[in-house]
Amino acid sequence: MFLLSRKTIMFRAHMSVTRIWQLIEKRMMSCISVHGKLPGLQRAVGEVRRKSSFRQSPLLTATPVRALIDEQISIKGRFLSQNYPVTVCAQMHSEEGDLWEAFAHYTTNASGSINLTSDHSVGGSYVGCEPMGLFWALEPALGSREGLSLRKRNVETPYMVNISLLEGHTSPSEGQRTELAAVTTERWYMVPGVRRIEIRQNNIVGTLFLPPGPGPFPAMLDLWGEGGGLFEYRSALFASRGFASLSVAYMGHKDLPGPPHIMSVGDSYFKSAFQLLQDHCQVDADRIGVIGLSFGVVLTFRIATRSGFKPSCLICINGAVGSPLLDEDGKIKMSESDQKYWELDDRGYVSFKNVSLPDNLPPESKQKVENITCPLMCIVGEDDLCAASTENADLIEEALRSAGKSHQFTRLSYPGAGHLIEPPYTPCARASLWRAKPEKLFALWGGHPAPHAAAQEDAWKRILEFMETHLRR
Amino acid sequence: PKQWAVLKRDEECMKLLSAMTQVVPPILSVTPCRALVDEKFKVLVENLPPGCPVTVRSLHHSEDKDDWEAYGHYVSDHSGVVSVSEDLSYGGTYTGKEPMGLLWSMRPVPGSRPGLRLRKMNVCTPMLVTISVHSGHEGFRDQAPLASVLTERWYMAPGIRRININEQGVQGTLFIPPGPGPFPGLLDMWGGGGGLLESRAALLASHGYVSLALDYLGFDQESENLEFKYFETAFNIIKDHPQVMPDRVGIFGLSLGSLVAVTLAAYSTIVKPCCIVCISCNHYYPARGSTVTSKFEGVTRWVLSLSARVNEDNQVIWKDVALEFITDPSNIAEVGRINCPTLLVNGCDDQNWPTVETAEDVARLMREAGKEHLLSRLAYPDTGHLIEPPFSPHFRATTFVMRSSKEKVILLWGGQTKPHSDAQEDSWRKILSFLQFHLYCGPNLKAKI
Repeated sequence: MFLLSRKTIMFRAHMSVTRIWQLIEKRMMSCISVHGKLPGLQRAVGEVRRKSSFRQSPLLTATPVRALIDEQISIKGRFLSQNYPVTVCAQMHSEEGDLWEAFAHYTTNASGSINLTSDHSVGGSYVGCEPMGLFWALEPALGSREGLSLRKRNVETPYMVNISLLEGHTSPSEGQRTELAAVTTERWYMVPGVRRIEIRQNNIVGTLFLPPGPGPFPAMLDLWGEGGGLFEYRSALFASRGFASLSVAYMGHKDLPGPPHIMSVGDSYFKSAFQLLQDHCQVDADRIGVIGLSFGVVLTFRIATRSGFKPSCLICINGAVGSPLLDEDGKIKMSESDQKYWELDDRGYVSFKNVSLPDNLPPESKQKVENITCPLMCIVGEDDLCAASTENADLIEEALRSAGKSHQFTRLSYPGAGHLIEPPYTPCARASLWRAKPEKLFALWGGHPAPHAAAQEDAWKRILEFMETHLRR
Repeated sequence: PKQWAVLKRDEECMKLLSAMTQVVPPILSVTPCRALVDEKFKVLVENLPPGCPVTVRSLHHSEDKDDWEAYGHYVSDHSGVVSVSEDLSYGGTYTGKEPMGLLWSMRPVPGSRPGLRLRKMNVCTPMLVTISVHSGHEGFRDQAPLASVLTERWYMAPGIRRININEQGVQGTLFIPPGPGPFPGLLDMWGGGGGLLESRAALLASHGYVSLALDYLGFDQESENLEFKYFETAFNIIKDHPQVMPDRVGIFGLSLGSLVAVTLAAYSTIVKPCCIVCISCNHYYPARGSTVTSKFEGVTRWVLSLSARVNEDNQVIWKDVALEFITDPSNIAEVGRINCPTLLVNGCDDQNWPTVETAEDVARLMREAGKEHLLSRLAYPDTGHLIEPPFSPHFRATTFVMRSSKEKVILLWGGQTKPHSDAQEDSWRKILSFLQFHLYCGPNLKAKI
């Protein structure tokens, strides 16, 4: 069966098994000692590498490479020349197809490595030690349309962000760049197993997110601002953190009655939404909170003081205690606020801030916040150009103090932060397109990138802790 | 360590737990929830009553539609927490402090078909594992879980390109990491089990190597000229790829694949691998002029014809018969001719192939040829033949279909679950370190420092 015509092999005298085992043990010992010395060898070899003609092979890693939006990603570059200037660049396409970019300048250390968790950027989209700077400092690429913002519509797919390492200190807009290495990261709004359920019942237009598992879960009612539409991403993240969450649309949605720029639903709409959560078999009916941003804050106070429901906690971000837009039933009574309080900057961008100054609010529109029966967290961006957040927070604080309810009140105030305090590590838009018809109007949100990013990171952590405390334990 | 005394309070505790969970269920988290298969996770249960017995369980529905599970019995601490990474399991499919026990100790659920093996054929989708927490220890399956989460285990990192290769007669799948490159390359081959397994090549690409998972068992050209040609062509497809560093291409083989690795490294005049990794090394090479495939078929036919030992569980053991072949020096490859760094990994309880003796033999031959400085060896006690990337379940014996006769036998691979899993975890780390050193870091060790 087998041909034996083969070349002679080197034939050594047999050795005893013991001797072979000794050799093996010796081999394993030297093997272990080689592994132990590897780091030292790497350094020595590194020296050779620079002198030899072998080309280096830089490596860029991101950990975790698939992360939730609110998780930190650790980015490292290795096998580079030592004390060498490099640029780290992030690029991604929004759902609308726009290219967003960020970049930062670093210098490798004596081992030829960079570590964005501990190293300092010396230029680019951000400076200093900013582990997540490549994500929150993203901006539309040069030549993009005006007033873009990054707000994910489809929360079931991730953002794919390509991180690349470039030679020298350069920028994405410069022509000649040498790419040394790259890594692709996925940033998700949902963990596996979260269920997304479209709600179109009881006249409610919304989306419910349930965490994986049997439950029952504490829950949140998630309310956004006057811009309208249905934003699911905060609810998706809440569900990923173990809270059922229902985002509802109340204007500017095709499934809602009435014209898109008018709020045609009133108090009963939000009562239905709260009731839906209470009635859900996987929701703990006694542990439901409400979170509102901007105009959603007024709605939050209406639910807390007029609906007959008793939420377990309230979170209000950059809002006011009242609005000139609402009538007694909580419906919008005019298509937009009186423009006399609008302030336009030299580009024609509008700040709505003065509309919500307490002195400018019609007294009958101010909610009786002192009637709340649960803990309240008020989050304020001190550079908010869209709402008079600080002034309203002062009013709320005073109202609760007078009612002997100071212990229920928590305020978080962030200097340099703007209106849209959202989940962390996402870019801050200082202004964006407010409406396209009858003519384009851009709204000013305020906020400067670095302090706004810090505010988002801190606020999100505090929001989740607040929810854990009052909805779970 | 937990107090055993608390277990006396079982019944009270379970009543308390069931009352509590109607109000506030425990909180279960797995971090990270999306990871590569060789990454560790932390499983944490919070909000339990203190001193409460619970079972943490994993469940996976395989591509072959079988259910695999693992579970550990725990007792919560004074703050109502169970941390799988820190606490001791008192029983189940694993015991002791085992952060990843919920994966590596998985086995088919009771009532499954015998001889099952878990392999992911589609590497573009993740392996989905449900982790759940149940009340109590005995009979934990009788009630619904208190909480459950889903975790994804991926073979491919994002951005990796997967390309079907069918050129110059070579068939396989190429995986290319994201970025400009150039990258080091690896030719990856599994054993005689058949089918093209892409899982390891995808994982190696996730670590920065252009990897070609090679399909080689379908080819039966009987001709001396073609003996190596198939593998040399495959190697050159990697070497000539524009994103590959031509002087940094290695070979990675398991079992029969390692025979290809050693023979290419020893005999090929066309290709010069930069380094080779051989898991469960096979150096049985009785004659030039017949292909690797036919050698394999020859071995298996001969083994069965000589009535390879069958144990009392009807599991076929090839090791002893194979040992007889390889003691004849004319039957083995001239590994003394290898000129590149070589890493051998084998299990000491390998029942499928005499890899312990093979490794010793390779060491002896390389030493005699003055090449011992090129050789590194890892040998693990109570470890079997199928040493795979970490946290994948251990199979002591699985069903194997003979290629020629289509006969189904149960092959004994060997190993005990816990030591085998430790070996998988340890060897993978060291293999990656070896590859990084030889393919990423620098020139060969002989360069003057």
